[in-house]
Amino acid sequence: MEQGQMIRGADAVIKAIAAHGVTTVFGYPGGAIMPIYDALYGSPVEHLLSRHEQGAAFAAVGYARASGKTGVCFATSGPGATNLITSLADALLDSVPVVAITGQVSTAVIGTDAFQEIDVLGMSLSCTKHSFMVTSVEELVPTLYQAFEIAASGRPGPVLVDIPKDIQIALMEYKTPLQAALPEPEHTPSQIDAAKALLAESKQPMLYVGGGVGMASAVEPLRQFIAATGIPSVATLKGLGAISYETPGYLGMLGMHGSKAANLAVQQCDLLIVVGARFDDRVTGRLASFAENAKVLHLDIDAAELGKLRMPEVAIAGDLRQILPALSQPMQIADWQAEVATLKVQHQWRYDRPGELIYAPAMLNRLAQKLPQDSVVACDVGQHQMWVAQHMYFRRPEDHLSSAGLGTMGFGLPAAIGAKVARPNAAVVAVSGDGSFMMNVQELTTIKRKRLPVKILLVDNQKLGMVKQWQQLFFEERYSETDLSDNPDFVKMASAFDIPGRNITQASEVEAGLDEMLNSEGPFLLHVSIDDAHNVWPLVPPGASNQDMMDEMEKQT
Amino acid sequence: MSNYAIAINVQQRPEVLERVLRVVRHRGFNITNLAMQLNDNNTSSIDMSLQSDRAIELLTNQINKLIDVLDCQVLAGQTNKTTESAKG
Repeated sequence: MEQGQMIRGADAVIKAIAAHGVTTVFGYPGGAIMPIYDALYGSPVEHLLSRHEQGAAFAAVGYARASGKTGVCFATSGPGATNLITSLADALLDSVPVVAITGQVSTAVIGTDAFQEIDVLGMSLSCTKHSFMVTSVEELVPTLYQAFEIAASGRPGPVLVDIPKDIQIALMEYKTPLQAALPEPEHTPSQIDAAKALLAESKQPMLYVGGGVGMASAVEPLRQFIAATGIPSVATLKGLGAISYETPGYLGMLGMHGSKAANLAVQQCDLLIVVGARFDDRVTGRLASFAENAKVLHLDIDAAELGKLRMPEVAIAGDLRQILPALSQPMQIADWQAEVATLKVQHQWRYDRPGELIYAPAMLNRLAQKLPQDSVVACDVGQHQMWVAQHMYFRRPEDHLSSAGLGTMGFGLPAAIGAKVARPNAAVVAVSGDGSFMMNVQELTTIKRKRLPVKILLVDNQKLGMVKQWQQLFFEERYSETDLSDNPDFVKMASAFDIPGRNITQASEVEAGLDEMLNSEGPFLLHVSIDDAHNVWPLVPPGASNQDMMDEMEKQT
Repeated sequence: MSNYAIAINVQQRPEVLERVLRVVRHRGFNITNLAMQLNDNNTSSIDMSLQSDRAIELLTNQINKLIDVLDCQVLAGQTNKTTESAKG
């Protein structure tokens, strides 16, 4: 470091990260990334040690989703990098800006099957938005700047930068590169005119709102558009929070486990306005009969989504913050609004289920009522995830972290950790299931290490519940490998990580249990034993149209 | 099954052909002919003939999203299906 401005590549990595406003990275050290960890030591960038690289990358995802900033994670070569892959795939399918930095064996031994060598660039092709292997120290900093730009621009996504060890220790002069903003698609006046014409002729319009609204920081423009037009709305799993749950005409989530009102209204509409969403199969049910009589107006930043699964009458690729205000116009749709309001009343959720046992939907609805304004709920994947989506409500999309596209069990706990780091003043609750929780349970150590006050609500039916539900309904009750009754004692396990906890089994204990969890100072595990007979209702069976939802009563007859 | 021909210009990188080929396979297209030429200006030209049941736009839209792709064109006279979308 005595050669004036010459610094190691590893130091330049930390400097470039700090220059992008990143204050905390998540990771796990190892041989090929040791120079970067050496540069980290004593640097202003904080590091949160996970206990598995998948946990580190999910924490970066949680950090990014809860804050809107780019998350950063580190892993070493070989197994460190392979352990990142699932989380990067998750970030790709949910369009989350993450920069993953992996150490690689030295340039001279790449391609010799060296110790802990794997072709990370090759592996990254299908699970990142873009990836780089740095081949000279001169291109290191420009590559990192490019990585941050690509991760956050357009439709965001994960970017991986693989850095051989010799480049980490090579000396270089740090120069801030001129990274031009990547070009973004822009709408044209004629597209706006065509869209407005569709709106003008529609008598029964519906808004189908996806995760793109939150990612585009277009929540306010969307809410203003709804206020100006009065158009009824539904949201996808990732779109939850974009529309305030109290908004007139808002029917909640659509799709396989959506509300009946949402699905019926979409099936009846004459114009479907798709905002930052992509006709996912869990949303559409049988695609050919999805909103069959509707014309489609599709708005998205990613032109490749326009016409991918459903041909729109008008498609606009561009910035929702500009498009939505340009489309705002008063609509004469009072009859339709009344129809939608009736559907909403007819199909509202009921929580008055008789019995002593805990009814998870009612408990989660109660949790939503108790959470403070500034709160984040991260959940795992399965039945509890759908109950969270159905029965909780969120003020902003950043307050609801759910692995939507990839559906990755093990997402919740590390995502909650990342969210707590990004928003230390927010109440952060990880809602998990007994199957999912065990998939990244090692991250309890990460909570212990920093005494992170993350609350864990573990909904336990001693089953791999969603798979069991499908076995019950569609596989003749052949319960292949979904019994988890040999789960560990979760409260005892949490106590081994210095995390206090309690088990509740009765509906009468829910109120006190939630209060104890939320009012506790540090981390807390509330272990909730529920009846394994409870399933997620209603349900669009595989291959069926969205108007043909099964509900619980139907099943019992 | 439709036949298509496309011409892609890419920034030359060691992995760029792999990237393009992965997208072609994953999006449901078979390559029947392939040529790649490194140009003087550090770009490469990739020409390929393809077969698929799917509309070519479903592929070209995805190829255009690749960061190293400079442009991707469907060669004139080769498109015989332009509007049908993939139905699962």
